[in-house]
Amino acid sequence: MFRTALLRSARQAIRAAPRCQAPIARPVVRSSMFQAKQIVPAARFQAVRCYSASAGLTKDEVEGRIMDLLKNFDKVTEPEKLNGEAHFHNDLGLDSLDTVEVVMAIEEEFSIEIPDKEADAIHSVKQAVDYILAQPDAH
Amino acid sequence: MSREMALAAYRHLLRSTRIAFQGDIPTLLAARHEARKNFEYNRGLATGSDELSQQITHAEEVANFLRENVVQGQPDETGKYKLRIHEHTERGDNEDIKKGKGNTLAGTKCCAS
Repeated sequence: MFRTALLRSARQAIRAAPRCQAPIARPVVRSSMFQAKQIVPAARFQAVRCYSASAGLTKDEVEGRIMDLLKNFDKVTEPEKLNGEAHFHNDLGLDSLDTVEVVMAIEEEFSIEIPDKEADAIHSVKQAVDYILAQPDAH
Repeated sequence: MSREMALAAYRHLLRSTRIAFQGDIPTLLAARHEARKNFEYNRGLATGSDELSQQITHAEEVANFLRENVVQGQPDETGKYKLRIHEHTERGDNEDIKKGKGNTLAGTKCCAS
């Protein structure tokens, strides 16, 4: 009896672990008032840093944050198609200007600046995740 | 080719709004909305047309202007305005104006007129 309870709570803790950093690292204004409308640019996008976070980001965390961001983007016409492989244009129905906005929002989310050439090459969730994982500055 | 240039201009413009209006969400959103509106308006311009390259140049100029020539200020508790001058803000002095190097607004004709 006691052992199953212990196991269950341990399992829950593990499941919660990789996601628990994300909300802390985000700018505070993000959450409340604008969420449903569109991507809200971070007010002070470098002001809030989570120095206590362990070095580097995990793939799951990066993917989760990018998906959250896309979920709140009102121009995504078919949210059910949103997954780790989704293509911004072919799957999510975003046009080229929307894609620029999404990449810009990803920059703000991870507090990095993506050079034009690389930004032009990001067309899907997977490409974005791979790019962020390759950046040591992303957090 | 011009399609990529337009997208790059849009990106530069969004980036400039972030620099100019950081921390001022209503203005930032309004600026981005306006940028989007103008890009939508010019969406149908033919690739390679003069009109298109003019509009792209215009967007780049607006981006530069926002980045270098716009600063926001907030009054502190004594009522004095504190300006948020950042690394991109254009800082000229009297010598620059006399020289008119061409890369500042001073000494050149404004807005290609």
